[in-house]
Amino acid sequence: MQVSNKLTPFFENLNFERDDNTMVINFGPQHPSAHGQLRLILELDGEQVVKATPDIGYLHRGIEKMAENMTYNEFLPTTDRLDYIASTSNNYAYALAVEKLLDIEAPRRAQAIRTMLLELNRIISHLFFVATHALDVGAMSVFLYAFREREFAMDLMEDYCGARLTHSAVRIGGVPLDLPAGWLENAAAFCDKVDYEVEHTYGALLNENRIWKMRLEDVGVISAEDALSWGCTGPMLRGSGVKWDIRKEEPYELYPELDFDIPTSDRCDSYGRFMIYMEEMKQSTRIIRQLIPLYKETEPQLMAHSPQYISAPKEEIMTQNYALMQHFVLVTQGMRPPKGEVYVPTESPKGELGFYIKSEGEPYAYRLKCRAPSFFHTGLLQNLLVGTYLADVVTIIGTTNIVFGEVDR
Amino acid sequence: MRKYVPKDNVQKKAYYTDRFHVVPSVPRAEVTDAHFASVVTALGNDVKEAYIEIGQLVVHIDPTRNFDVMKTLKETCGYTQCSEQSAVDYLAKDNEFELFWQLLNITEAKRVRVVCRLANGAAIESIEPLFKSANFAEREMFDMFGIKVNNHPYLKRIIMPDDWEGHPLLKTYPLHGDEFASWYEVDKIFGKEYRDIIGPENRDPGKVDIKDTKRFSRIGYEVPFGAEYNADEEVPVEYSETALVNYNKKTSKQLDERR
Amino acid sequence: MAQHQVNYASSAGLPIALTSVDKLVNWGRSNSLWPLTYGLACCAIEMMASGASRYDFDRMGTIFRASPRQADVMILAGTLSKKHSEFARRLYDQMTEPKWVISMGSCANTGGMFNTYATVQGVDRIIPVDIYLPGCAPRPETLQYAMMMLQKKIRRESADMKKNTKQDLTTQTGKRARLI
Repeated sequence: MQVSNKLTPFFENLNFERDDNTMVINFGPQHPSAHGQLRLILELDGEQVVKATPDIGYLHRGIEKMAENMTYNEFLPTTDRLDYIASTSNNYAYALAVEKLLDIEAPRRAQAIRTMLLELNRIISHLFFVATHALDVGAMSVFLYAFREREFAMDLMEDYCGARLTHSAVRIGGVPLDLPAGWLENAAAFCDKVDYEVEHTYGALLNENRIWKMRLEDVGVISAEDALSWGCTGPMLRGSGVKWDIRKEEPYELYPELDFDIPTSDRCDSYGRFMIYMEEMKQSTRIIRQLIPLYKETEPQLMAHSPQYISAPKEEIMTQNYALMQHFVLVTQGMRPPKGEVYVPTESPKGELGFYIKSEGEPYAYRLKCRAPSFFHTGLLQNLLVGTYLADVVTIIGTTNIVFGEVDR
Repeated sequence: MRKYVPKDNVQKKAYYTDRFHVVPSVPRAEVTDAHFASVVTALGNDVKEAYIEIGQLVVHIDPTRNFDVMKTLKETCGYTQCSEQSAVDYLAKDNEFELFWQLLNITEAKRVRVVCRLANGAAIESIEPLFKSANFAEREMFDMFGIKVNNHPYLKRIIMPDDWEGHPLLKTYPLHGDEFASWYEVDKIFGKEYRDIIGPENRDPGKVDIKDTKRFSRIGYEVPFGAEYNADEEVPVEYSETALVNYNKKTSKQLDERR
Repeated sequence: MAQHQVNYASSAGLPIALTSVDKLVNWGRSNSLWPLTYGLACCAIEMMASGASRYDFDRMGTIFRASPRQADVMILAGTLSKKHSEFARRLYDQMTEPKWVISMGSCANTGGMFNTYATVQGVDRIIPVDIYLPGCAPRPETLQYAMMMLQKKIRRESADMKKNTKQDLTTQTGKRARLI
């Protein structure tokens, strides 16, 4: 018997000798396939899960509290660290919420760039999903292939904003920079590459793979009603046959002008969701290709004109006194949006990412709530895991595609 | 006089506000949309106030009626998903919380926000039987604000550890945490007697410890890594001479300290 | 049967290399550093990227292990929250000696941008750290450089680990203490 004291702490607090013949297994918070810091307390009857209790909060960093102590522009880089696999989608969701509150609209070129970056981030995130999901289930080679393509996408992001992971590539009211020379050609080449690889590498390795199908088919089945009730969005909801995509239903940016399909699946299982992810990558490349000519037609204005809230372009600040004064006030005090509240949903790669902002007219948000899709997908686990086998637990965690930065915030 | 520090709201405040600054409000529109109008009619007397703010219907209700309102919205009006629910702290101003539920109708692509004011210390009815997503959301609300939820299946802290003190998103809770929070990991791992060995947290990101020869190098001369600090070795910093001014020579234009 | 034609008298032909035990042990230790997959937050993604195709950590003899019992290096990649801190310490205690710690990213070094109630303000409050790796998030090249620096450090150490000087902590009262 181990004796615990303060210096050699002994954390075993789970009782293995129980009356009801079930065994309790502690999964996480440091588990290589827990996608971060998920802790699951599983009660097993033989190999079957009787009860699953997800325990989260191991990556809680107080981001919502930080938002109450930061000006609106200061907070933007913090949103990178929410869903750190697709940072721009967080930046964008936050910027859009503030823009709706301020009632301003980004200029068309900024919208084209934003839409392109959002779709690029969707590809990055989905490639990451395919890689880690395959790794968890046991297909190591797909991980290496998918990360190879992911690096090309990272290069594109790096060309644009200089960062690989934490992009901050969107500003409130527009984008900070225009696309660098040659970026569009690289993006087009990247789209061809992704299309080819999705079809011929991951698709060829996984789609009809006998082991892959055995591990994924009829695992993690959730009906459409349950999915809605548990707050599932994104591919989790579409995998249950509900055709709901915020890009189509409540469109933002240039999505209404673009032609793309929403893949759904009636299978309701992990395999159906995996196929949705694969199809969505192809749709994203299709969107980026359509955006390239749209971008070329636009005027070179990058930030919205709204002197009350947004600094003027650098040339004006350097030449005009009033723009300089405005810029000084905005930098030292921050913008003061009108009093009111706003909830803006966007379709992030994981699902519905929304920001609720309550403004009291101060430069600091009175309350900011981030509606993270992964938070609700984690809650779903306590329903989804019951009745499955221990070996399928990893598959089901993988298929929900949760990221702990946004679960715990 | 000592500077006044408010105790009931310790969040950051704007250091300067123009005396003549009038805070504008986001425009609130009348409910004209046919679908939203039918929602307001279906809710009947439960609606205290209804308006459209930035494309979404906002309905103010009584906190005791929240379950029935949600039931009507789900079963009559087709709001099948509760996207989000949380609270806003108005304890300093009104001794109340503002609770909101964000509901989504998938067939009509419409969103409704149900808002109610809950007195401090009162409990709210759980909507978990209607929307399972409320299970986690209500636990988070309890954890972050300490709002009790009646008939919740498993109301327990979700994000903070079970033995945590305080509710972090209250306005009275400081951003850097209270005494308990700042020693939490030391107390838990090593015990309270290790507090003075490990020392307090450094919350100043710009702190430079002149005596620390491991993390910081010295300006002006070099000492070996990890050497003991010795005040006698102090050598005045030499500046390069520019055409305009010699900084090594004392002039009246250089100030030793702020006047 | 083949006859080995080795000229033992010539300089390159001697199948014996003379070295000290320290150097031999450190050569072995430094060239097969197996880190624990301890991804905490954003930096974990860059840690994975450095293990994947383009950056290829394996060529440095670095293979990620999922169990602390099999690992030599703990790469603390990301924000360490207060709720998680006891587990971090526990995993560190579970690793067998000799063990080293790389604190990856600003959050692990000092708490970084998350200067809040929920974040441990630097993992060196609970675990002795060998290499601090700045950046938010550090690039995979930076992690590889940190690994090389750690190898360098190990090669300078004495093999019996007696002189292994870990992070000293100066207390407010002036006395020096050492984390175990």
